[in-house]
Amino acid sequence: MWGIFLESVVIFQNYIGYHQNKFLFGIYLFFLLYLWLTEKDRRLRALFVYAPTILLVCFFCPLFRKAFVRLLNDAETYYRLLWLLQTSILSAYGAVKLFGSRRWSRIAGLVILCIMIAACGSLVYRSQYITKAENAYHLPGEAVEVAELIDPEEGRVMALVPADLVYYIRQYSSKINTPYGREMLIARWDYYNDMYEAMEEAEIIETASFVGLTRNYGCNYVVLKKDRKIQEPLADYGFALYAQTDHYLIYQDTEIGK
Amino acid sequence: MVQVIGSVFWLLVIPFCIGLIPANFISKNRKTPGVVLLAGYLFMWAVFEVIAVPAVLWILYDNFLFVLRWFTAAAIFLAALGVWLQFRMGKPRFRLSDILRKKLSMEAKIEWLLFFGFVGFQLYMAVTRTSFDGDDAFYVVHSLMAQQSGAMYRNNPYTGWSTTLDIRHALAVFPIWVAFVAVKADLHATIVSHAIMPLVLIPLTYLIFYEIAKELFTKEIFPSRKENIPVFMIIMGMFQLFGNVSIYTNETFFLTRTWQGKSVVGNFVIPMTFLLILWIYHEKTEKRNREAGLWFLLVCLNITAGFSSSLAVFLLTILLAIMAVCLMVVERDIKIPVKLGLTCIPNAIYVLIYLGLLD
Repeated sequence: MWGIFLESVVIFQNYIGYHQNKFLFGIYLFFLLYLWLTEKDRRLRALFVYAPTILLVCFFCPLFRKAFVRLLNDAETYYRLLWLLQTSILSAYGAVKLFGSRRWSRIAGLVILCIMIAACGSLVYRSQYITKAENAYHLPGEAVEVAELIDPEEGRVMALVPADLVYYIRQYSSKINTPYGREMLIARWDYYNDMYEAMEEAEIIETASFVGLTRNYGCNYVVLKKDRKIQEPLADYGFALYAQTDHYLIYQDTEIGK
Repeated sequence: MVQVIGSVFWLLVIPFCIGLIPANFISKNRKTPGVVLLAGYLFMWAVFEVIAVPAVLWILYDNFLFVLRWFTAAAIFLAALGVWLQFRMGKPRFRLSDILRKKLSMEAKIEWLLFFGFVGFQLYMAVTRTSFDGDDAFYVVHSLMAQQSGAMYRNNPYTGWSTTLDIRHALAVFPIWVAFVAVKADLHATIVSHAIMPLVLIPLTYLIFYEIAKELFTKEIFPSRKENIPVFMIIMGMFQLFGNVSIYTNETFFLTRTWQGKSVVGNFVIPMTFLLILWIYHEKTEKRNREAGLWFLLVCLNITAGFSSSLAVFLLTILLAIMAVCLMVVERDIKIPVKLGLTCIPNAIYVLIYLGLLD
């Protein structure tokens, strides 16, 4: 039970950004305490004081976590229980209750709280995952370029693409099938795929066995990074250079289907 | 142009007209255009779930085309019914002059301007910035597969290969609704997900926050109500902007994964629960909780939870159970958990289907 409790603590710390020295949750706790002391409306007290407190207790309760995980068969999403707190609504309500009655206290309080939120939080647009959109699809331009080149007018094609295109290629066209997908890129999921091993794990692609696999999977196209090392040229094995982009070479298997 | 008209029609006009049905059964002072739109989305998504889930489970081929046909018919029928009800029950109350006539202090005007600046900035960033998320390879591709192949949940989105029904995700048909909008607006589903959905879902969430503020800051307790509401909204905007303390918070999901069902859970379904419970139980008189429309919307909300994510069904049930117990204690009314429990019947059905298919 102690172990389960500690797991919940770690999940909680990760959720609130404790290790990144983010203290936005501190603002929430301050206003939760403030409402404990000042909220007179019994219904609001039930919704904004008692309910979040019970939720927090449940979150850390090992029995509750055990039941949650067992029922859902999923421990990874336990942190979403904290979404039920709706920390921003409670904090904003507590803040207005604290300093909203008089004009100057309201303005000063708002300015101070905004500064505190900015200081304790983290601007979402500074995230490493956010970049300028290159097109209306919000996909990398070169991924769209590659997908456009191999997207069939009718039917489906099978294309083997490098790992950095795996996330995007099927967001452009679901008519492009792949021998493996995103599941291979997440180490903790621990999947195995022989084509992935040959394409991504080998330092130098061993052409003969590689081509054997692409034909087993029925790959019409093979997309390689221009700097990808390969023992012998694919052209020697019945592939033709179909097109190229800034960073990728697209080969078409001329022998498939023969 | 066709795309713009299609998007506006299916994302604004149809939900608004559908929302007129439940809105006619809630008190008149609450029936604002914003509330009608929120009610419309709840009702519309609930209907979509009810039509799409049987199609996912029992139709093997072209199941999306079935949904496309039947939901189009249902949505247009309900929208027409909403308009008819509106005219039958009295003249439309929505007048622009009502909004313009509201007198605001200079302070409130500046605060509202600041708030709209925040929202405008968030919408601008949503369209001009891209947020990488690996789950898009799953959810967005499900939308795209439905649009391009007419089939739902029968292929592995990562590879395109045929697969068995993934029951954990197949009951949460939010990506299919995105595909529906994409077909109707004649747009690529990936564009709808990444560039169109944030323009709808971000304002909808703020609309919920605004309604919550209106309910919380009553004239009796908050004499500066007109100034308090924009202050509340600015703080909410700040929390959304700076809430990215980890990749897990609902604020992070709100602005980086807006188009995914799980973000809809954290930023639509759960705040909406607070709003509906406030509407039903906050007012001192008992009149409000007899409003049939609110109870109907609460049922729709429970169905919408399943529409957005299977986990949401459990989360919402937990939240309602805790709220019910707390309200029961303070009100000394045993009927509260019973009533709220009854609204969770769709969740029970959902869980039974889920567990039944899991085995």
